[in-house]
Formats: sequence, C-alpha cells, structure tokens
Amino acid sequence: MIKLENVTKVYPGATVAVKDINLDIAKGEFVFLVGASGSGKSTLIRLMMREEMPTNGDVWIAGKHASQLPSWKVPYLRRSIGTVFQDFKLLPTKTAYENVAFAMEVTAKHRSIIRNQVPQVLKLVGLSDKSDRLPRQLSGGEQQRVAIARAFVNRPLILLADEPTGNLDPGTSVGIMRILDHINRTGTTVVMATHDHAIVDAMQRRVVELVRGRVMRDESRGVYETRKNSDTTPERDPQATQEQAAVVAQGEKREPSAEAAGTESTETRPVQDDVEGAVQ
Amino acid sequence: MTSLAYMFREAFNNFGRNALVVLGAILAVFISLTLTFGTVVFGEVVRVNTLQWAEDVRVIAWLEDDMTLDATAALQNEVATWPQVADVFYISKQEAFQEALVLFSNNDAMLRILEESPDILPASLRVQPADPEEYGLIVTRLASTPGVEKVQSAGDAIDAMIALRDGLQVMFWLLAVALGVAAVALIANTIHMAIYARREEIEIMRLVGASDWFIRTPFLIEGALEGLIGGALAVTFIVVAQQMAVDRLSDLPDWINLAVQNDFILRQGALVLLFGVAAGLIGSSLSLAVHRTLRS
Repeated sequence: MIKLENVTKVYPGATVAVKDINLDIAKGEFVFLVGASGSGKSTLIRLMMREEMPTNGDVWIAGKHASQLPSWKVPYLRRSIGTVFQDFKLLPTKTAYENVAFAMEVTAKHRSIIRNQVPQVLKLVGLSDKSDRLPRQLSGGEQQRVAIARAFVNRPLILLADEPTGNLDPGTSVGIMRILDHINRTGTTVVMATHDHAIVDAMQRRVVELVRGRVMRDESRGVYETRKNSDTTPERDPQATQEQAAVVAQGEKREPSAEAAGTESTETRPVQDDVEGAVQ
Repeated sequence: MTSLAYMFREAFNNFGRNALVVLGAILAVFISLTLTFGTVVFGEVVRVNTLQWAEDVRVIAWLEDDMTLDATAALQNEVATWPQVADVFYISKQEAFQEALVLFSNNDAMLRILEESPDILPASLRVQPADPEEYGLIVTRLASTPGVEKVQSAGDAIDAMIALRDGLQVMFWLLAVALGVAAVALIANTIHMAIYARREEIEIMRLVGASDWFIRTPFLIEGALEGLIGGALAVTFIVVAQQMAVDRLSDLPDWINLAVQNDFILRQGALVLLFGVAAGLIGSSLSLAVHRTLRS
C-alpha cells in the first residue's frame, strides 16, 4: 500500500530530514512511527501524502508511483489518503457536520451521497448528537474526532495521522485510538506518528523507530522503545505513561514502559474492548 | 450542478468579506472602461458627423447633375494639379446616398425623402488641401469653375470638432490604459485577499484532494465578476450620458447628430463587457499564479 525505496529527503539549507529509508507497508497494516522530535517522522508522513517529494529514492502510494506523479494528478491521489493532524485543522466557521461534508463537497460528491455519508461517519466517531456544534463548542478530543470523520468520510485506502493525540489528555487519547483501531479494522491502512508511549505499548502493532532520519528499528509487534536506544527518545512523563498504559491495557500487569521494553506480548487485545468504560 | 453552485457561492462570499477592496477594484474597472467606451462613442459621434470631412477633406464641390463622366474626370485631374491641393476624390450620387443614410440615421423625415428619391444628392469632388488650415483659395477657385454648382467648406466647427476628437482620444486612451492597468492590479489585490482569507480552507481542500480547478475557479469567477460589474456600470453610464446629451442639447445646429446607432452601442458595449471580464480574469490569474498557498 505504501512503499519507500532508498528515500532521502534533504530540505533547502542542507538539513537532512530522512536518509535511505526503506519501508514497505501492506494493506490493512497499522504502523506506528516513533522517534524523537526531529527524527523525521513528520517528513515521512508528508512524503507518504506527497506533500513532499523525495530528494532521492522512490515512493509508491496506493499503487501510484508518487515520486513521479505530475502535480496535477496529486489531488486524485489524495482522495485515497485521509490525514489527521495534531492541530485538528478544522474550519472554525463550519459546524462538525459541515467540516466533514466539506471534504466531500470539494471533491464534487453528489449531495445525496453527502447527506447519506456524513451522519454515518459522525456516528462512527460518536458525535451524532453534536453534529451542529462549531469546533469551539467542542472539546479537543471531540474536535479530533471530527477531523478523523473528515479524513475517513471519503473511505480512503490509507489514513495518515501525525501526532493525533499530541494535544489530548491520556483518557481522550484512548478514545481516539479506539476510533483509529476501528477504522483500521475496516481494512484501511493506518500510519500514525506519535510520541505516546502508552498507546504504542498497549496497541502492540508494528513499530518503526526513526533516529536522526534513519530507520533504527522495525518490529511487527513492538513497543515504544527498547533499552538500547532509550537515550534517543524524548523526555516523557512517567506518571502519564503509567496511567495510560493502565487504561489502555487494563488488567495487564505492566511496569512503566522503559522497564517493560523487550517483553513481547503474544496476544493483541482489541483496544476498544478494554477502554469501553474509560471513554464513556 | 452542486459544484457550480458552490463556486458561485464562494465567489460571492468574498464580495461581502472584502467589500471595500472589491468596491475599489470595481470602480477602477468602471472608470477605466467609461473612459474607453466614452472615447469610442464620442469618436463614433464625430465620425458620423464628419463623414464627408473624413480623411482630411476640407472642401466639397457639389457638381451639376448634367455633367458627363469625362468632364468630371477632366475637372478632377485639373484640380489635382493645383498647388494648394493634396488630393481629390470623386463621390458619385450613389456613394452620396449611402453616406446620407448614415448621416441622417436619426432623422426619419430626411430618411423618407432619401428613400423616395435616392438620386436627390449630387455627385461631388472632395478636396484634401495641402495645408489643412489653408483652404480659402481652393474654395474661391472652385466656386468659379464651370460644372461646379456649389462649394462647401468644413468651416471652424468641423475643424474644432476633429481637433477636439484627436486631442481627447490621445488623452483618454492614455488615461484608460493607465487605469486599466490599475484595475487589473486592484482586482489582483482583491483576489489575493480572498485567497488569504480562505487559506485554511484551501489547505484543507488540498489535503482532501480537491482538484486544482476546483480550488481556483471560484477566484477566477470572482475576478471575472468584478470586471463584468465594472464594465456593465461603464456601459450603462455612457449610454445614459449619451441619451441625456441627445435630449438636453436639442438646440444644437441641425447638422450635428449626437445619436449613435443602437447596433454600434450593442457591439461596442459587448466588447467593453468582454474587456471587463478579461481584466478580471487577468487580475485573478496573476494573483493565483503568485500566491504561495496554491503552490504544490
């Protein structure tokens, strides 16, 4: 679904953002991109949505050779990619419903399809009763759920999320992860860049760790960090991590993740079952 | 249908958002095109009224009806040799009739007379003096030439009218061009502001895969509309002013015809509207081309 071959991105001013990245993400996978700030996670996300072109190497997205795609075809590629960001990017003058509908209107979807799809997707993210609220009348978590609804309403093949829980408290983040997990279960490939230890550890999905623009680790069922390179990850709040881990992976006895590193869990438990109570 | 409605809605939205700037742009188009259109219409009024005096003709010798073609040709050749004369044309009865149809286009009584007797007007020799200001001697000599029934000279009124037209035209065209450039720049500015006001929306549109034309067309429509409104105001203004001039200045001498034919107004007016739309499209295209938000 997404394939990067020897991808290097150098920004003007000779800042090397990512170097010699080789990554192959299959359809339906859920992949965490982890790493310190500046390790190249966001650049990778931007390459995967063809917001950036690689300086070297090739990028394939949804079967298209993205690094050779003429710019006028990019909009059509984007229709198979949903994007979610830390800062939500909602239009402040539009209601939740209108924000979601906007993604369909501007891709010239028929009105009847919009009327049919938008309520469905708002229901999926649990906002049916708040569809006429403006973003400022919604909590951060609710705003992010609107953003996810907008990203998903055109049923993309790929959902790219750049720190979707970065502005949210641990409890709210769990709700967001539940929705992303649900979307992933419909067959959508999800790639999520994150700093959130607890979420990564609890979800037990593929983890790609970037260190200074290179892939340091790529594990099919990884945790946020391993002891070996713990010095390259950013500072974190052990308290929050512990709380979140406890919420997400309820019942599992788990030390704070640094200590738990390396202990591979053999069972992947659906997040939504565990956190049902926590988000309601 | 849905997207077309969407685009016009978006284009109109900015009119409210940046009302003052939009008004400025429309006024600039209006003034520029009023000058342009005014110049064209005034030029037409002068052209119609000086039809006989076109191409620097200052003296007309109306010929006697019984003059033979050979005699006429001989006379034409002779006059051409006069030192004060630059050139001489022969206008037949038929050509005179065609000319009169235009000249008296708003004079029904005169047209009726012409219809009844198309050969009422005599043939003539039109004389271009070597020095446009000095044609007194030509008039005197022609008056005493056999075969010439009557000599008519342009006179001060015609001279003044043509001089006025030539002077005004240069000045108006210069002004119109300068204001036209200003109008394009002002339209570009309104579009620039519209893009800036909608930069968040545009960012999201690009994220969710709105095509380039879908993002750009509302701005092109907006620019075109501003140009069209300015042009429509200019056409309306000139038509009303023209009508008022015809009504109010009825005490002018009979031979001055201020009215302009309707099909001329229609044709030139449509052209002016087209210019307005073109100015709007150029302005908005300029803005779209340079705006960073729209670069991929």
